[in-house]
Amino acid sequence: MKKLNFFRSFFLAATLAITSIGFTSCDDKDNVEPELPIEVRGAFDQKGVFILNEGNFRNTNASVSFMSDSAGHSVANHIFSKANAERPLGDVLLDLDLVEDRAYLTVNNSNKMEVVNAYTFKTEAVLENLKQPRYFTALNADKGYVTEWVVYGEPGQVSVIDLKTMKVTKSIPVGIQPEELILAGGKLYVANSGENTLTIINPATDAVEGTITVSDSPTDLVLDRNQNLWVLSAGKVVYNADWTAIDYTLTTAGALSKVTPATQKVQTFTFDSNRTMPANLVINGSGDKLYFIYDGKTFVQDINASGLSSTVFINSGFHGLGVDPETGHIYAGDHNNWTGDGTVHVYSPDGKPVSNFKVGIGPRGFVFN
Amino acid sequence: MVRFSFLKVWLCACLGSVPVAAMAQQDTTQHQLRTVEVFGKPAEVYAAGSRVVQLDSAFLSTYSSGSLAEALQARTPLYFKTYGASGSSTVAFRGTNASQTAVLWNGLHIASPTLGQADFSVLPLSGIGEVAVQHGAAAATYGSGAIGGAVLLNSPKYNSEGLGGDVKLEAGSFGRYFGSGSLGYGSKNFSYSFSAYEHLAENNFKYKDLSRFGTPEVRQEHAQVQQHGLTQDLNWHISPSTALSLHGWYTFSDRELQPAMGSVNTNARQLDESLRLMAGLQHQSQLGQTDVKLAYFNDLLHYTDNSTDSEADVDTYQLQAEQTYTHGDRWSLRGGVNLQHFVARNDGYASEQEESRASLFALFRYDPVQPLQLTLNLRQALVDNYNPPLTPALGFNWKFLNSNQHQVSLKGNASGSYRVPTLNDRFWAGAGNPDLKPEQGWNYELGLRYVLVQGSTFLLETEATGYYMLIDDWIQWAPNHTGLWRPTNLQKVESKGFELSTTATAALGEVRLSSTAGYTYTSSVQAKVYEGSGSDKGKQLMYVPRHKAILAAEAKYKNWSLLGNLNYTGLRYTSNSETSHLDSFILLNLALSRKLQLGPNTLLLTLRSDNLTNAAYQTMAYRAMPPRGYTFSLRFIIP
Repeated sequence: MKKLNFFRSFFLAATLAITSIGFTSCDDKDNVEPELPIEVRGAFDQKGVFILNEGNFRNTNASVSFMSDSAGHSVANHIFSKANAERPLGDVLLDLDLVEDRAYLTVNNSNKMEVVNAYTFKTEAVLENLKQPRYFTALNADKGYVTEWVVYGEPGQVSVIDLKTMKVTKSIPVGIQPEELILAGGKLYVANSGENTLTIINPATDAVEGTITVSDSPTDLVLDRNQNLWVLSAGKVVYNADWTAIDYTLTTAGALSKVTPATQKVQTFTFDSNRTMPANLVINGSGDKLYFIYDGKTFVQDINASGLSSTVFINSGFHGLGVDPETGHIYAGDHNNWTGDGTVHVYSPDGKPVSNFKVGIGPRGFVFN
Repeated sequence: MVRFSFLKVWLCACLGSVPVAAMAQQDTTQHQLRTVEVFGKPAEVYAAGSRVVQLDSAFLSTYSSGSLAEALQARTPLYFKTYGASGSSTVAFRGTNASQTAVLWNGLHIASPTLGQADFSVLPLSGIGEVAVQHGAAAATYGSGAIGGAVLLNSPKYNSEGLGGDVKLEAGSFGRYFGSGSLGYGSKNFSYSFSAYEHLAENNFKYKDLSRFGTPEVRQEHAQVQQHGLTQDLNWHISPSTALSLHGWYTFSDRELQPAMGSVNTNARQLDESLRLMAGLQHQSQLGQTDVKLAYFNDLLHYTDNSTDSEADVDTYQLQAEQTYTHGDRWSLRGGVNLQHFVARNDGYASEQEESRASLFALFRYDPVQPLQLTLNLRQALVDNYNPPLTPALGFNWKFLNSNQHQVSLKGNASGSYRVPTLNDRFWAGAGNPDLKPEQGWNYELGLRYVLVQGSTFLLETEATGYYMLIDDWIQWAPNHTGLWRPTNLQKVESKGFELSTTATAALGEVRLSSTAGYTYTSSVQAKVYEGSGSDKGKQLMYVPRHKAILAAEAKYKNWSLLGNLNYTGLRYTSNSETSHLDSFILLNLALSRKLQLGPNTLLLTLRSDNLTNAAYQTMAYRAMPPRGYTFSLRFIIP
């Protein structure tokens, strides 16, 4: 293994060196489309978008699709199974993260993380026996963090993973049902969706440095161009005493909050109804427009707005949202009642339908390559 | 707990009433197989033109330790979705779903009113006398849910004189043990039988985990099953024209639910407990036959896993009263009423819920000439908020050729069907959809039946049926625009296909051979989709195999008997998009039996192998099924 790694690193370095020489003569324009690398390392070594198809809960039918940016925008479905001798990916795919030449796939109800080559999608390692893993983020190529619920309704944890050995080196207790996590201002923020807090972890020490109180049930985190953290809170659902109906006098409405990491100041915009939950907070490439879903509609919001947006961007809700950081196109996943393959609808930055294509079951996330 | 003590009292009372009597020289096996109706006409009499298939008695007796799911999967062209060796198993008739199948025990519905479907893996063959399968819509006769078909179960009838009984002990691969015993007494006007069984299975077989890196061979964990149950059946001819019958059926099942390969084991466990009590009175008078059935059922389902604890407990009270009037040889009319009352306690409901349903039915039969039989059935169901329209069924049988050797009949029917929403559809807190409509179906079929008889040595019965079915307002749970899961009238489904079957029985000297072959072609597609994108229109529904074929054969020579079942199940899609599928598979089961006569008693030794070719197969995606296994069984029959 060591030999191979050394060889590969050397080869990569050589390739990069040659490529950089090649580029020096080019104009230094913004958004220059990089040419395909001289050595194509696999089918996915190209621009495009990975689509995370969640799959049906308790069924081993999560999958990944890839739509290439090349002419024809060809779509490949089930790319994990196809690269791995028809082995299924698992049960409920929640997260996919590209870190250098690897992709980390967090498969929730399989309690595992599959580590695949980002260009071929062949599995290189599997981290098993996680405890209801949710989302992953990497500090660098050596260290990553994964949120784990452990036991529903009880405090969860963030496990520190040595990405070289794919071993858990430490588990940090956090709040209840930790969902998304994000690095902002050198700190790791974890959304504890079973309560109303964000846990702050110092990645230098992997110790908890404090918590920030936000609205109930924070789930989604994005970072804007001003390095402010946006938190989408779904709102807390409270049931009546015998757990048979939702008590709307105690159920809280969802909220969108802006957290300034340096000062830990929280500015909160609360949604008008506690009968429907906001979901799917994403941000565009330039970091100034937020998109989210509320009451079955898709909204767009400027980061400098002084209140919640009432601009309906698309008059329907989706199971997943993504924004192409370069073109600003919105990718929206339709679950098609969960009985068959989902559909991805692509919209232009002004909300006009551009195209649509079929993917796997329950498209919920988009990772742009 | 009240239920248990009641059960015990009832048990003791019945047991106490069994008088000790002289033994009679009879084999009880023979007697568990006859029709249960003392007199009168079974409902099939009014189902001209439909396809009713009786399960072979030799098979039922050899495989009596299994579940109804295993038996029907092996012997009929029905497809069962089985969630692994220990999980639930539900049936699909003619491309419909499990809820669209009626399951009746002695003529009354027993499917869970909360889920609206029966789990065939907790229905044992032990203690069941007869199993028949009616293909196609039969809701005019059987009521709600008989859209794709109906499974008809009847209690055994002990009709030999004196006392008899049997004990069966079985041990098999993967930690499987089974024991059952039965006791019966019969006199001229009275018969009583009792049976009990216990079934334990570890299901610790090895399989290749297709989802794990390197696809290692692993041992199945968390698939243990423990089941037991008992039946009691009493028939008493109070007078020549009046008969009373009492039936009791108790089943208990505690199962570890086997997770799918690649899904985490959340220690899911399910306890199913059902008590079914029924009393029937039949009286023959100048006005015809009066038949009244009164029943009480209690069904408990308790599901737990690491984060869930959910219980559903339903009491069902049923009354069915029928009057059958026959005029001469040609006219017959049956009219009746069925009343159901449910009291449901479910952790998912806001409070204890009650629902009453009624239906009125009239079944006519007219034979204008001897070879032609016509039937017309009408049923009107009355359900709060969900009144389905009047449901008719019209059928005919026409035996247009009838010689000594050959009989050819043409038959057909057009039938309506309906299914009212289940208690879950209606009462699930936060999800109940007041706009839900009952499902409605139409079934048209035409068939040809050919019988060839050659003396007493050869009999060949062949049947071919083609059908076309439309099911509208198909109820399915799906998320609405805000993500809330609730029942909705999702789609209209069009199903068409054909069913072929042939049965041959031959005697060659001392060898007796019988064999059955069957094939079905099923095309079942979404014709309309009322919610969502509808992008899968025109595609085969998930888990409906287009092709399924069975071949069963039995050979008997002196005291030996060999029983074989071959089952081919074609490719099944695992979603409605036809983009992922399970491969076709072939299963072979063989059973070799030797009968030993020990004085008046009989000892039956059986060695059988299930999945003899060691096929790796799944009926639900990534639920491992057992590889080749062996079972040895001893059955001791007291005359």
